[in-house]
Amino acid sequence: MSMRSVFAIAAGFVLTATAPGVLLAQSEPSDEGDAIPFARSAPSEIVPGDPSDPGVSYADILRGFDDQASWLTFSGDYSGRRHSPLTQIDRENVYRLAPAWTFQTGTLTRGRGFETTPLLYDGVLYVTGSNNYAWALDARTGRPFWTYQRDLPDNLTYGRNAPVNRGFGMLGNRLFMVTLDAHLLAFDRRTGDVLWDVVLADYEIGHAATLAPLVIDDKVIVGISGGEYPTRGFIDAYDPATGDLVWRFYTIPDWGEPGSETWPNEEAAMQGGGGTWMTGSYDPELDLLYWGTGNPNPDYYGASRLGDNLYTAAIVAVEGATGELKWHYQFTPHDIHDWDSNHVPVQAELTIDGEERRVVMVANRNGFFYVLDRSNGELILAEPFTDTTWAREIGADGRPIVVNNDGSGGCLPDQWGGTNFMPPTYDPALELFFVNARETCSSYVPFEPEYVRGEATMGGVVWTDRDAEYGALRAIDVMTGERRWEFRYPSATMAGVMSTAAGLVFAGDHQGNFMAFDGATGENLWYYPTGSRIWGAAAMTYMLDGRQFIVIPSGTTLVAFALPHYEFASPAGAVIGR
Amino acid sequence: MKSTLSRVLAIICIAVPLHAGAQVSNPFEGDARAIRAGERLYANRCAACHGADGKGATGPDVTMLWLEGTNDEAVFDTIREGVDGAVMPPSFAPDEELWAMVAYLRDISTVPPFDAGDGDAEIGREIFAANCLECHRVNGAGGTLGPDLSNIAAVRSREALIGSIRDPSAAMELGYRTVTLVAANGERIEGVVKGEDAFSIQVVDTDARLQGYLKASLRRFVHEDESLMPRFGRLRLSERELDDLLAFLAMLRVDASAAH
Repeated sequence: MSMRSVFAIAAGFVLTATAPGVLLAQSEPSDEGDAIPFARSAPSEIVPGDPSDPGVSYADILRGFDDQASWLTFSGDYSGRRHSPLTQIDRENVYRLAPAWTFQTGTLTRGRGFETTPLLYDGVLYVTGSNNYAWALDARTGRPFWTYQRDLPDNLTYGRNAPVNRGFGMLGNRLFMVTLDAHLLAFDRRTGDVLWDVVLADYEIGHAATLAPLVIDDKVIVGISGGEYPTRGFIDAYDPATGDLVWRFYTIPDWGEPGSETWPNEEAAMQGGGGTWMTGSYDPELDLLYWGTGNPNPDYYGASRLGDNLYTAAIVAVEGATGELKWHYQFTPHDIHDWDSNHVPVQAELTIDGEERRVVMVANRNGFFYVLDRSNGELILAEPFTDTTWAREIGADGRPIVVNNDGSGGCLPDQWGGTNFMPPTYDPALELFFVNARETCSSYVPFEPEYVRGEATMGGVVWTDRDAEYGALRAIDVMTGERRWEFRYPSATMAGVMSTAAGLVFAGDHQGNFMAFDGATGENLWYYPTGSRIWGAAAMTYMLDGRQFIVIPSGTTLVAFALPHYEFASPAGAVIGR
Repeated sequence: MKSTLSRVLAIICIAVPLHAGAQVSNPFEGDARAIRAGERLYANRCAACHGADGKGATGPDVTMLWLEGTNDEAVFDTIREGVDGAVMPPSFAPDEELWAMVAYLRDISTVPPFDAGDGDAEIGREIFAANCLECHRVNGAGGTLGPDLSNIAAVRSREALIGSIRDPSAAMELGYRTVTLVAANGERIEGVVKGEDAFSIQVVDTDARLQGYLKASLRRFVHEDESLMPRFGRLRLSERELDDLLAFLAMLRVDASAAH
């Protein structure tokens, strides 16, 4: 526990039990807790004790990109598209894009990447980092207002292997962050003080939490990591004011419930994985959360869990109000390749056969691109976006026609998949879905794992021919699944993608380049070598003082790019420059 | 369910007590069961970075640790503590699991003793000076285009070395793969690739010049399947001369161990 949170407890916090979802520490209501104007209240409402700004409302998040000087939720809005309306940086001037500032985090991510998406509100970036650091930064200069560092236990499990964090959620004047020891914290955005701290799950058996919480109307939605261990995944909703658990949806049904028949026995099911470690998207009109679920456990050894293993390696649509399952679609039944389906589900409105369809799109780790009706889960389209040899096609029944499940019939995508959790992006004007694809060549050798408390149960070894791998940014036509263009990298990348209404696509690669492309043609228009592989992160962008910034995490740094000042701010033609 | 692995390790622990006061050695050294257990632990915890075969992926090759002069205790300590300032995390697993991994790593690091054969090392030295030294270094002298061969007999078998000499293109190590560039002015450059991304390539050319090139500025560049090292077939290097050359390379290893 950090000095800051120790101080907070001494100042009037109470400790209670540590069962899942139970409050661990909570501020006294006199502080500001219950009085804060969460959700529904008009932004203009002034609350006693809060001098001016009520902070972010649910209505603000609903408006998404309408306010160009904010970025209030992981993907920028609830649709998961990561498509900004900003156009100051365009195809004509992007070649002049230059670093505006660099923030040095001072914390190294062992084995993984700096995976966060900063939030922006009122000129301040709220940024989470690896090892559960967090900062409030001046969005104009990258200079910090406050720094938080969680004092983590020394016996982390999954959190030791992937000490990452993907960002804050935000509501009112509160920030929400999950931790590597599987807690959910609420912060005061003005001070970085922890207001409450609840336990999501027992980290000692393999759990951790890494995703950016998704705030919807009066709820903070989070998921859990740890599918490499004998755990059971879930999606949780918490009360933003108190930290009380509102509902929990288990990704593996209770024994005897529908779906449990896809497991051979209760023991296999209750430790069958199905993590929920990537932020989902949300349709406020349908009140449906779309969330990807992770691999079944053991990862590569399927003999102890014969059956489809619902709802692992799937997308679930869960009611925001109740946590009840509305529909599901399983991408990889009985996965034995660690092909989690923890992707950002990307929403779009498409006219298909003359009919308006609300769809959700996923480029999956198994190498297929899917379009589903997001009101009922009906499969509309499934086409490969990698040169996979795992399945020939997705059959009329929605199930893959598997031709080579273990690599004995040639290469399979490796355990990192045909893509991974790094966010894709969708440009509705071009009707193109952009994703960083990974072309790899692996075979899988399963073995029965040993069960040791707190140890991973991968259940196999993966052999990969590194000489055969490459990566590519691909533009997928969402109406047909066809590849419109690609831009190749020498190795498979783990970097995310963002697009803007200027027709630009921003992507990263494993060699550390941050790049801009013409979305229509795939022409590379600009690049900047950041010096470290861009891993798991996608860019975000905002307007401030009339200047468009684009921010990307890379290695131990957060870098902001903009056009040089004189490009747009020179009075009467005078070059004021930088 | 009590783990079989734990049981095996517990039995081994009882059977092979540590000797107090002596330098810490691996209680499982050479123990086949522990090596198998270590292999599985390695697959779970290490293979993602160090590669399923230990040859390295994002993390370094761990198959030559002992050949490079380490010992069991140092490897144990590295796994226990992690590497400060690098991405390798500490481990909090029980001692016996770490020792099992050390036993496995030592097992895969062991190359059979190099068969020096009955060649004449002094003649081999002359053959090396005439044919190899321009590109390869031994004990600080020689060229920089190819790998340093001072320790090669410690890390490669006789058969593997013969293969590399007779047919160098069959297996080119990362960092020694051939590229041919044609610059905008028509100049042709041959070299080995030290680094490459979507936009640029870093090359050491046949004049040992280190130079980076923007791909957009090149007329063309081709990754060649052929090594820059010429084939030394029987007409160029007889069986007798090959034996002499291998005797020389084997002697370097002896010299190096004596120096230590």
